[in-house]
Formats: sequence, structure tokens, C-alpha cells
Amino acid sequence: MHQQLAWYVGGPILGLCVVALRWLTNERLGATGAWSELVERATGRVGALDTRGWMWIGLVVGGVVFGLFGSSLDGYGWLTETFSGWTVAAILVGAGALIGYGAKLAGGCTSGNGLSGNAVLSPASLVATGTFFGTAIAVSFLIEALR
Amino acid sequence: MRRFAAFVVGAVFGLTLSWSGMTNPDVLRNGLLFRDSYLMLFFASALVTAFAGLRVLRRLKARTLLTREPVAWTAVAPRRRHVAGAVLFGVGWAVADACPGPIAAQLGQGVGWSVATSVGVLAGIFVATQPRPAAFRQRVEGVAVAAQRQ
Repeated sequence: MHQQLAWYVGGPILGLCVVALRWLTNERLGATGAWSELVERATGRVGALDTRGWMWIGLVVGGVVFGLFGSSLDGYGWLTETFSGWTVAAILVGAGALIGYGAKLAGGCTSGNGLSGNAVLSPASLVATGTFFGTAIAVSFLIEALR
Repeated sequence: MRRFAAFVVGAVFGLTLSWSGMTNPDVLRNGLLFRDSYLMLFFASALVTAFAGLRVLRRLKARTLLTREPVAWTAVAPRRRHVAGAVLFGVGWAVADACPGPIAAQLGQGVGWSVATSVGVLAGIFVATQPRPAAFRQRVEGVAVAAQRQ
């Protein structure tokens, strides 16, 4: 696992995950929903973790497996190249909050809207995906120009 | 059984995201800056596969394997909140170079920085799921505006 999986292998596997979850349980695969169930559990809105919470545990376990056999990160991209420790952590908390709040407001993230929603041509997902891809590309170029 | 199925799909999803470099901020960033075509090709091939697979399920009038109900989904009409939320999400995505699936996988990999991102994600979702004033819902989310049109 030290070499990046070819896109034409990794991409279709990801797409098949969306199909598999729909076929198994009739659910829309979305990572934001998985995170949401943790919040619902913590605030007592649900009693026990259901499918979305278990999917979150699965995502983490998938990471654990890669952590054991794959290559590890050295630093954290442009953030650790530009800033020192606590500043990076503070920026990541802020960025995470935008990700969580924004995805919830938009009804999904890169998986829920970007893959699952677009795959059924849901207009809200198409609009959201065009918007977040456009915004992320613009902000990436902005960061590149400023730093 | 439903939970176990979701767990397995999540694990395959998380491993694939990790192996394809989606948990590596440099891979994400190089994709968004068009320096490397991997991100776009990866995303597009995932989307095409999901699209085709779901069409097959619909064509076969498939029932779900675990709950025996007809496979079905609904389309959602766009509202202002989909645009507003996606802009905020896009900013966070570009800054952290990670989205919710990869952030969870980073936690599993033992990437310490992802703890900070996770705290933010949980806080953001918590705030987003609190009851909001009607004025906010109308102006930012476009909910009441849409209801009036009907």
C-alpha cells in the first residue's frame, strides 16, 4: 500500500460502495451523516449508534488498516510548511467547523452530495457540488497566491 | 446486520480513500490546483460507477438485500442553503485539504492533526443541528421563501 492506488481502481471501488449501501440497506452513503450520528449520540438524540455511526467506525478502521500497511504522512501539507504547531491546530479546528457546518447546511459533503446525490442526479447535489468544487479551487489558488 | 453492513462498507470506503491518497493533504491540494489530474479522474470515475450501478439496481427493480424493501431514492430541489453551505464547506475543504470521510480515516491512520479537524467538524455539525430562528431559515436557507412559492 506504499504506492497510490490507480484512480481507475480506487474511483470505481468508491462508486461501488455507494451502490452496495443502497442495495444492502437503501441508504445514501455520506460521511457527514456518519459524523452527525456521533453528535446525535453525544447529545442524547439517539440512544445507540445505528448504521451511520457504524459506518463512521468503519471509516476509521479503514484508516487503521492503511496506517498499518501504508505510508505515513510527513507533516500536514501547506499548513505545516507555512505555520507552526498551535497555529496549524487552530486553523484546522476552524476549517473543520466550516466543513461540518457547511456540509450539514448543504445536505452533504463530497460523498453525500458529490457522489451519492449526483449519482441520482439530485438537483440540490449538482448545485452544491458545483459550488463547493468551484469555491475550493478558488480558495486553493488564493492560498497559493498569498503564502 | 444492517449495522455490520454499514461498518464493512465504511471500512472499504475508508481504506480506499486512504490508499488513493485522499487523506494526504498534498494530493488534495495538487488536485484542486490542477497540478495533478488524479483527484478529478478519481472523483469522476467514482461518480460514473455509482451512477451506472444505481441505474442497474433501478432497472432490475431490485429490493434491498437486508430489509427487502424496494430500492428507491428521492431527488432534492436546490435551495439557498445548498449554495451557502457548499461555499462554507468549500472554504474549509480547501484550507484543511480534507473532507469528512478522509478526516475519519486520518484519525484511524493516527494523523494527529486530524484530531483538531475532527473537533471542528463535530462542533460545526452541532451548531448546524441546533434550532434556528425563522429569519435565518428564510434568509440563509431559503426555506420559508420556497414554501411561499408553493
